[in-house]
Amino acid sequence: MSDLPPAAAAKKPQGFLPIHTNAFDRVFIAVVVFVAIHLFWMRFVEQDLSLYVATVISVIVGAFIIARG
Amino acid sequence: MRPQSVGWLFLAPTLFILFVFGVLPFIYVLVVGFFDWNSFAADPTPRFSGVNNYRELVFDSGYLMSLWNTLRFGVFAVVSEIILGYALAQLFMRNFPLKGFFRTIHTLPLMIAPVAVGATWRLMTVPGLGPIPYYLDKWFGIDFLISRYPQQAFFTTVVMDVWHWTPLVTLTLLAALSSMPKEPFEQAQIDGANRFQTFWYVTLPMLKPAILSAVFIRLMDAMRTVDEVWMLTGGGPGAATRYVGLYIWRVVFPKTDYGYGSAMSLITLYLTIVLCWLLYAGLVARRDLRRTE
Repeated sequence: MSDLPPAAAAKKPQGFLPIHTNAFDRVFIAVVVFVAIHLFWMRFVEQDLSLYVATVISVIVGAFIIARG
Repeated sequence: MRPQSVGWLFLAPTLFILFVFGVLPFIYVLVVGFFDWNSFAADPTPRFSGVNNYRELVFDSGYLMSLWNTLRFGVFAVVSEIILGYALAQLFMRNFPLKGFFRTIHTLPLMIAPVAVGATWRLMTVPGLGPIPYYLDKWFGIDFLISRYPQQAFFTTVVMDVWHWTPLVTLTLLAALSSMPKEPFEQAQIDGANRFQTFWYVTLPMLKPAILSAVFIRLMDAMRTVDEVWMLTGGGPGAATRYVGLYIWRVVFPKTDYGYGSAMSLITLYLTIVLCWLLYAGLVARRDLRRTE
């Protein structure tokens, strides 16, 4: 059992992100990561691999962040 | 009527205004960003182009350079404003003759329109007319010519921004300093803390919300600076002070490339939000978390 008082224990991060987040935060982070991956892909990778690959990766990463972040 | 319904009723006008003037234009820009739309082109009707505007944008060296210049400008300006604003707030916490007069004088730049600030600084930096090049040459032998030297132009825009917006930071921090309780300072004194320790462990943590508010407001402002810089340097020499707002303006208005301009605006907004969020997550959220562990 945790030694923390109830309020502090509730603030403990539940997922792998280093900050306490709610569902809205995680959706926001997922959108930010989605856009970042696409911009990075267009700049550096798209000559070799289609942008759809970036979309698939972004959706997987986003779903993971929302579910486990 | 239930209390919750009354709350929504009172909120409704604000939400309506926010939706009409905030959310709808945002959605419009978001949609236009996926179109090729140039009213001077052979075919001026908007044509859906997918992510082509964004594809073009990540290779646009002019835009990337303007982003980098804007970030440099933002960092230099905001850091200077916070340091200077804090020093002035501490000064105004003390009693000295004509304090009220100086406090009023010091807030005057806030009341001047940015275009007028730019015009004033332009007059002050024109060689042969303005006092700044004259005295810099007379006292230090510096050849001050912002239309020729990029670094001088850059730092003049930073100084102009600091001159214009430091009073806002001062007032914010002054309000925060005035509302601080005395007990923690007395306790620190009893515990034998020196002035630096009192500042670092007592004043700064208590000022953090006010400092962060000032940093967010100023950073967002700095990222969309147009008018002052346009009046002072016109974005030059070369592209030295062509900050992202000016760059977008050149694409949207003289070139009437609305689709590409919208894409640039959205990416700039995205970067501003990410920057502020990273600051928040790094400085507030992580620290609060550590405290609870």
